[in-house]
Amino acid sequence: MDRIVNGIARGVFVFLYIPIIAVIVYSFNAAGTNTRFEGLTLQWYADLFQDGALMQTLRTSAIVAVLAATVATAIGIMFALGLARYRGRGKGGFMALIALPLIVPEIVLGVALLSVFSATKVPLGIVTLVLGHLIVSLPLATLVLMSSAAMLDPSLPEAATDLGCTPWQTFTRVYFPLLRPAVVAAWLLSFTTSFSNIVMSTFLSGVGSTTLPLKIYSSLKTGLTPSINALGALLILLTLVIVLAVGVSQMRRILVDSRS
Amino acid sequence: MATTTRMIHLGRKERPKRGSLLLLIPGVASVVLLGILPLFIVARNSFAVADDYGGIVGGFTLEHYAKLLDPVYSKTLFFSLGLGLLNTLVCVVIGYLTSYYIVSRPEGKQGFLLLLVIIPFWTDFLVRTFAWITILGSGGPIAGVLGIFGLSGFSMIPSNAAVILGLLYSFLPTAIFPIYASMRSIDGSLKEAATDLGCSWWGVHRRVILPLSSPGILGAALLTFIPTMGVFVIPVLLGGGKDPLVGNLIVTLYTEFRNQPMGAAVSMVLLVLMVLSMALVGLLLKRASNKKKGA
Repeated sequence: MDRIVNGIARGVFVFLYIPIIAVIVYSFNAAGTNTRFEGLTLQWYADLFQDGALMQTLRTSAIVAVLAATVATAIGIMFALGLARYRGRGKGGFMALIALPLIVPEIVLGVALLSVFSATKVPLGIVTLVLGHLIVSLPLATLVLMSSAAMLDPSLPEAATDLGCTPWQTFTRVYFPLLRPAVVAAWLLSFTTSFSNIVMSTFLSGVGSTTLPLKIYSSLKTGLTPSINALGALLILLTLVIVLAVGVSQMRRILVDSRS
Repeated sequence: MATTTRMIHLGRKERPKRGSLLLLIPGVASVVLLGILPLFIVARNSFAVADDYGGIVGGFTLEHYAKLLDPVYSKTLFFSLGLGLLNTLVCVVIGYLTSYYIVSRPEGKQGFLLLLVIIPFWTDFLVRTFAWITILGSGGPIAGVLGIFGLSGFSMIPSNAAVILGLLYSFLPTAIFPIYASMRSIDGSLKEAATDLGCSWWGVHRRVILPLSSPGILGAALLTFIPTMGVFVIPVLLGGGKDPLVGNLIVTLYTEFRNQPMGAAVSMVLLVLMVLSMALVGLLLKRASNKKKGA
């Protein structure tokens, strides 16, 4: 029986990589359509960078993701440090509150924000996108930071205070250096969450603030082009860079240990 | 003297507490203003009367919820629920087997196998989905191989089978992580002991590993079910939009029909479904932990 399970599991690993390999291989396909494989070309990559509209959406996505990730990480650091030092009652309640956006379907959060913005006549654009992406990445960033902040020795900040550090100095000289790996992980996690977000963006982007995933989605509805495969291959590369930057052990803690 | 020390202690205890509460404010405010408050507005809108253009007028009506019984809506709701449950079941079963495989590898190799799951999980959701259009479509490798044998015109796009495959592919990693997490903490000697005492492969799983990893399994089920029910990209790209899911319904109602109250009602159904499934998981977890205490 174990042998059958092993076979299934190995099959799963193959299954997980079939699409990734397909995207990369077809991004070099010289044939103009996805019909046959006709040798190698880099043309689709060149096309990609000459597509002005696409580059504009890339810019929008990058701006939104940087803003959302930075704000989410800043709020997350404050929350994590606050909760780590908090000794009063209701700690569990605060943790449940910050995790709430994770358990509400994202699509419902999206329409909820759209309802607020349309009721208050706030025009949809970069700002609404950032706010929407913020609320989905905030719990992720905070949970990552919380698990690291909880492991800090509580006597360290006390020692810093005793040695005459102001709260701000305690933060910059003690907390921040110790939390740096978690801060990097939280920021990159929020960045990718925002950069690849399609659900929130569907409801919260306005005229002129189309994001890259929205653009890909709308062009896919009319048919797959080879340059989309090239774009996909670049996004896979970005994933690899980010996963390696965060580090395997850190990733393992984020995805496995924080959920147990 | 004793009182003085106590006062000093109290003083030290009180100070960081107030400071730490201040640090929680931005996080709490964000969730309240961008999460909880908007949800209340959706709840309110689902009972509001709409004007001819789908705008919110006010008042109170149950008309939108009554409309959900209309086959136009109820068919989609039940189809999504069925597909969501099916996907959750398949993801959990395959996730369980994969996690068991990873856990039974040596510790050093486990990290690498986990990395192999993390990379596809981290890859852009759209990239993961559109890759299947290439693979399953008329010009893909499967069609190519079948073409050699004279079977031309193969394409699985669009079809419900492709949608099911796409859902499985998207949410399988989400199911693997929590199950692996709870399996890793199981003492390996328990499995050996059960085998020594005459348990078959099934016996070991039914009596030892399955019950001990139940928190992870339930967590995986929840983490798969919630996002599956909100999906709208996969049915459009892989299913051709023929059989919409709840997610498609919500997007269409809001962005194309601009029917906010009806969209709000459908969203509320989804929200209630999530609350119910979480309550169910909570109940099952409680029962599992009571059983452990009783034994």
